[in-house]
Amino acid sequence: MNISQMVQGLVDPMGIPFYPIVFIILSVLTFAIHIMFVNFVVGSAFFAFYGAIKGGQYWSRLTKSLIKVTPITNSVAILIGIAPLLFVQVVYDPFWYVSNTLSAWWVIGFILFLLIAYSSAYVFYFKYESSPGVGKLAGLIAVVMFVLSAYVMHSLNYQALLPEKWLSWYIKGLEVDTSGTSLHASQIPRLLHFLVPAFAMIGIYFMLYAWYFSKREDFSADYLNWVANLGAKLALYGSLVQAVVGFWWLLSVPSKFSFHTNPFFILALLSAIVLIAYLFKAQKNPISSAVPSIVLAFITILFMASAREALRLLYLTEVNYSPFTYKVNIDWGSTVLFFATFIMGLVIVGYQVAVAYLSGRQTRVLEETPQLRKWGSLSIALLLAWLVIVAGLGIIITIRNFF
Amino acid sequence: MYPLWEVPVLSAGFILGIIATFHILPSHLSTSAMWFNVFIETKAYRENRPELLEFIKKYALLLLVFAYVTGTLSGIGIWFSATVASPRAISGLIHNYVWGWATEWIFFIIEVLGIMIYYYTLGKVEPRIHLKLGWIFAIGSWTTMVIIVGILAFMLTPGKWLETGGFFDGFFNQTYFPQLLMRSSFMFAIAGIYAIAVATTIKNLEVKKYIMKQASIWGIVGIIAGILFFFLYLKSLPPHNRELLTILNIGSLKNTIIASLGFIFLYLILVYIRPQIIKLPIAVISIVIIFAGIFATERIREMLRKPYIFGNFMYSNQFIAKDLPAKGVKNEVEYINTVGILQVVPFVPEDLRIIREENQFQAGKLIALIQCSSCHALGDSGVRPLKPLVKRIGINEPEVADAWLEAIGSYPYMPPFLGTAEERRALALYLSSLAK
Repeated sequence: MNISQMVQGLVDPMGIPFYPIVFIILSVLTFAIHIMFVNFVVGSAFFAFYGAIKGGQYWSRLTKSLIKVTPITNSVAILIGIAPLLFVQVVYDPFWYVSNTLSAWWVIGFILFLLIAYSSAYVFYFKYESSPGVGKLAGLIAVVMFVLSAYVMHSLNYQALLPEKWLSWYIKGLEVDTSGTSLHASQIPRLLHFLVPAFAMIGIYFMLYAWYFSKREDFSADYLNWVANLGAKLALYGSLVQAVVGFWWLLSVPSKFSFHTNPFFILALLSAIVLIAYLFKAQKNPISSAVPSIVLAFITILFMASAREALRLLYLTEVNYSPFTYKVNIDWGSTVLFFATFIMGLVIVGYQVAVAYLSGRQTRVLEETPQLRKWGSLSIALLLAWLVIVAGLGIIITIRNFF
Repeated sequence: MYPLWEVPVLSAGFILGIIATFHILPSHLSTSAMWFNVFIETKAYRENRPELLEFIKKYALLLLVFAYVTGTLSGIGIWFSATVASPRAISGLIHNYVWGWATEWIFFIIEVLGIMIYYYTLGKVEPRIHLKLGWIFAIGSWTTMVIIVGILAFMLTPGKWLETGGFFDGFFNQTYFPQLLMRSSFMFAIAGIYAIAVATTIKNLEVKKYIMKQASIWGIVGIIAGILFFFLYLKSLPPHNRELLTILNIGSLKNTIIASLGFIFLYLILVYIRPQIIKLPIAVISIVIIFAGIFATERIREMLRKPYIFGNFMYSNQFIAKDLPAKGVKNEVEYINTVGILQVVPFVPEDLRIIREENQFQAGKLIALIQCSSCHALGDSGVRPLKPLVKRIGINEPEVADAWLEAIGSYPYMPPFLGTAEERRALALYLSSLAK
């Protein structure tokens, strides 16, 4: 049994309910959003701790804001992360499952590290003012645990790209190693390429923060200018460091892939250059550059996520695997269910975010405008309609199948 | 078949069990709490009782910090631990239900954003807006249950799925609606029981009493309805699963359920009559007691699946038991019996693929690992350990073990032995050595 046959033998025999390209696109898109929030989390946890140590009027104020948002961004990062992980298991199942079972304790550990990080972030928030010592310690623990979680997730993903090594990790003579206690592979430049952007992204986040609160009378213009300038500098220098790490990472990619000529890589590179150029310009007026910066940054991340996918395909071609040849057993019903719910979700999440956005931008109580009233009622009506349709479908199918 | 993960003393399945059991606490709270909260909030605005908002805020904070930190992570933890304990099973479920989970994910986003925005905008947006946020959260959160129950029920009773392979044929199976109704009823009871605990920390005595009375009514109605639907659920079980209910050793689990429900029912009546005497420790103990009852119910539900891990389709040890022509899947039993398990499984030392006298014992051990370890610890201790088990049955000679293995599939809860006669003899040699 060679590696290629082994991988084919592991592929789920039930096939997938829709075309592989759709799962791959969804996976890349959701991964891009996920990793952006991961950057926000790591960046905000880091600077919340830094600000608490550094002290001073502005840093203290920024830390207070950051400790409040870290748990929230973390929650969103985890939540969005579910989707790419789900879709990876649909089209790359053999690779993900082998990598996970070989390092099983680390898979469980990942959850534990995140739980500690998440809880510590809350302790930092609730205890910072009443007992700063405890708060700072919790802040430090949060940073360390977030980075450790990132390392584990990186390693699990990287091991999945190395099927030729799996047997040597598992089989020891006539015995098999079922302990799951080791992480077997990691690639530091690759990991750094995911983590270093936390500095650039939190910089843009600071610019957005200054832009968002610029309408609030309880935020002084001096403070917001300070945050925005700090953000613009972080964004620029963070991106420049990231560019250096990017080249280091490129050199670590096996040369047989000639990845530097890959169109997805070139697109990612070009968008990064445009972003860096814009960030140079943004130094002059960081507050008004905040929104274009995040848009450009997200486009760059999206291209990089696509390049990451293209690289994965190259790695797996080595064992003759392509997700595009996965057996498809189309299931229209559930596909329609998902996409319809997805569109409905945009309306509802849009309403929730709009309320949060509008309410946070002012100090007085947010009043219900006619548009908000309609939007809110529509959201509830959609949720109820969804339930009625699904329950109706359920009743019809139950009667048809069992009565 | 993927590499195996063995957890000393406990077993991999046990780790999954611990996380899944813990998940019950926050998950049932998160789907239920906002219904009660919105109910109280509506009263606060309609009857102009702003003092009730103290409770609203406290209950929402419990949700935000407890239910959504531990609930999200233990929920993902179930998925992760299932991934490493039974990768082929989770893969099979995902390859059928990926759009189901993806749909549930959208409702997760609605509920998680929902609780954060609900909590942080309390008092900062007009009541009309805030109530809408609450309703969106409550409905969205309950909808995650509407979806996950379909997949949970499918694992036990796949309905017409084995014939058609259809998503909805498996989803809306014979136990779906009874289970959904049962869980939803108990969910309201759980909302009440948690609300009582939160109410014990409220300073305003009038508010405290009021919340406790309301919460105890929710609890009592939820429990009565839940018990009624529980009987409907039992009635909806197919004959094989009902037979297991009488064969399997579940006496202590049954007693736990009855004791837990009985206690909670009396407790709720006490709360209704004498709300002032309820203190936080009693309230927390009651949460633990209802939790023990739910745990026992979930355990029984999982045991009733045997010998399958899901859908009457895949055995507990992750081999495919049945054909699924609609998806072009053949069962693996016949093929493995012809070719041999050590030939089919990829993660096998090359020197063990062909059994010879000198490697027979090692091969037998590996076969035990592949076929038995998902439910039985190979050592002395742990979950259903093999050593005491073979001793008890009296398998001390390879021939006896071989005959026993040949007939093992006739136990209604055991999968058959998979492999050639030679491989069965190797396993028999290993098993009989354990008895010595």
